[in-house]
Amino acid sequence: MNPFEHLRIAFDALLANKIRAFLTMLGVIIGVASVIMLVAIGEGAQTYIRKELMGIGTNLLIIVPGKTETSGMGRMPSGIQKITLADLRALEKRATLLNGLSAVVVSNAPVKYQNRMRNVEVIGTDQNFEQVRNLRAEIGSFISKADVDAQRRVVVIGRTVRKELFGEANPLGRTVKIGETKFRVIGIMESKGVTLGMDIDDHVFIPVETAQEIFDQDGLTNILTQAINENAIERAKEQIKTIMIARHAGEEDFTIISQQAMLSTMQTILTTFTYVLAGIASISLLVGGIGIMNIMLVSVRERTREIGLRKAIGASQRDILLQFVIESVTLSVIGGIIGILFGAGVAYGARAAFPALPVDVSAWSVVLAFTFAFFVGAFFGIYPAMKAARLNPIEALRYE
Amino acid sequence: MSDAPLIRLDDVTKVFVTGAIHYEVLKGISIEVGRGEYIALVGASGSGKSTLLNILGCLDVPTSGHYRLEGEEISAKSDTEMAHIRNRFFGFVFQSFNLLGRYTVAENVALPMVYHGLGRRERLDKAKALLARVGLGDFTSHYPSELSGGMQQRVAIARALANNPAVLFADEPTGNLDSKTGMEIISLFEQLNAEGTTLVVVTHDARVAQHARRVLTLADGHMLTDQKNSAGAEAL
Repeated sequence: MNPFEHLRIAFDALLANKIRAFLTMLGVIIGVASVIMLVAIGEGAQTYIRKELMGIGTNLLIIVPGKTETSGMGRMPSGIQKITLADLRALEKRATLLNGLSAVVVSNAPVKYQNRMRNVEVIGTDQNFEQVRNLRAEIGSFISKADVDAQRRVVVIGRTVRKELFGEANPLGRTVKIGETKFRVIGIMESKGVTLGMDIDDHVFIPVETAQEIFDQDGLTNILTQAINENAIERAKEQIKTIMIARHAGEEDFTIISQQAMLSTMQTILTTFTYVLAGIASISLLVGGIGIMNIMLVSVRERTREIGLRKAIGASQRDILLQFVIESVTLSVIGGIIGILFGAGVAYGARAAFPALPVDVSAWSVVLAFTFAFFVGAFFGIYPAMKAARLNPIEALRYE
Repeated sequence: MSDAPLIRLDDVTKVFVTGAIHYEVLKGISIEVGRGEYIALVGASGSGKSTLLNILGCLDVPTSGHYRLEGEEISAKSDTEMAHIRNRFFGFVFQSFNLLGRYTVAENVALPMVYHGLGRRERLDKAKALLARVGLGDFTSHYPSELSGGMQQRVAIARALANNPAVLFADEPTGNLDSKTGMEIISLFEQLNAEGTTLVVVTHDARVAQHARRVLTLADGHMLTDQKNSAGAEAL
């Protein structure tokens, strides 16, 4: 028998019970839509984090004091031995696989202009910061080598700081107070917004040695550097290690974090997160499948006489089996298609509403959800269909 | 066509097993059904006449004995082959008409042709011709629930004729009908038999038995009598 005929029989049967068919489908619709939506959100989060991490500078390496076991984010400040400017100089002189080194001292301080004040994170750094950290001064200039060497009291301010302290006025050349020390504004950073939970726009940048002086620190918060290329990252790390260990009395009391390691750690976490979301959503798809099985069992019972009749007029067991399996697969596949459209609609709606989260409906989640819906229909339809196929035609025809 | 009779049963028995109890419903039946015959199967309730009809129609298989269809033994056929035989050789009419309510009258009649593999257009054309033959040419697009019992049974008869069967089996075809509409069905059978259709009818209805050419009486699983019906012959 032509499979198309089975499909027609299935459609006729479903159309005869439209509300029941729709309600049964609803389980699959909700299941598939949640797979699509949750995977889209998970993948959106991945894209977002990846973009953010790319934004902090390619091939970036961060040297932080203290030894941590994890290779990704986070560090354990153990004041064994500080990282100093002398370490940086040594690396500058001896490391061949690095492309620029930048010292960073981070502290908090109130920044004042006239009667306005704002508490911000003050970053003491040097002329290499722009290049290594992939940030630019948009107006004026960034801190120069001369500023660092002469310990000048100059400051480059972020967008938010500018807006909050100066409003519409031009801040270049003005004097602000950081703590009790006066600084001249020489530049304004380009707007970067929030990256990795840190609002670059709400920072001010001053020469590193000036920062050490006013905050009374002799160590560095970290050293930022870049490997000369992607393939050199591991060798560059080894080089830094060798040089630093020699300077730190044979102790590896520091940690080198690479942007690559952060990226892969985050990637692992978020991929797991996406799978967990897809898994949770799949449970509702499974529940939808059980709903299909339930209704198919009811349907087989209700149509016992029809099954008996079909057998009497020439339907084989195979014909009956196919009729009911195709009916349940039709239910789940139509439910799957509606679910995909609905889920994708909500996902793109969310993207329109929250442009910051780059929600994207990925092809694999559509294929997965659709395939899963298909097999849910086939799997949960097979038992009721087998029950139907095995009915004895004489008893079935007598069924009241 | 072979010289063998259309259907030949040799020493057929049927035993139903319910738990520990065995019911021997047929106790060695041997009959032949020839082409063009009009046979009535009569007997008391529980005599085994419906079981015999089911076995003749390949809806059920004998416990022992031989069934030859046009000389070919069919006892060892698979489910698919049996379904094929029912589809091509036989038509069934039941006491309760067993029409599918979600299909139109024409679609109901066309149903056996679906399993024969005919296209939709061809099926519906043939179904309309069959409905005209049973006097329901004007009701092809009605639904069964819109028709009277007698009309529904005529639809069922048209459906049984769909694949041009060698034998039409009927199990109490007039059982759910009043005597007037029952008589219409009896006349229709008469007409079909005159046109060459072989009929085997299980019945309690004395009028049906009167019109048949041959009456087989079953009692307690045995063939009691097998007589030519002179009344039926006279009616010819």
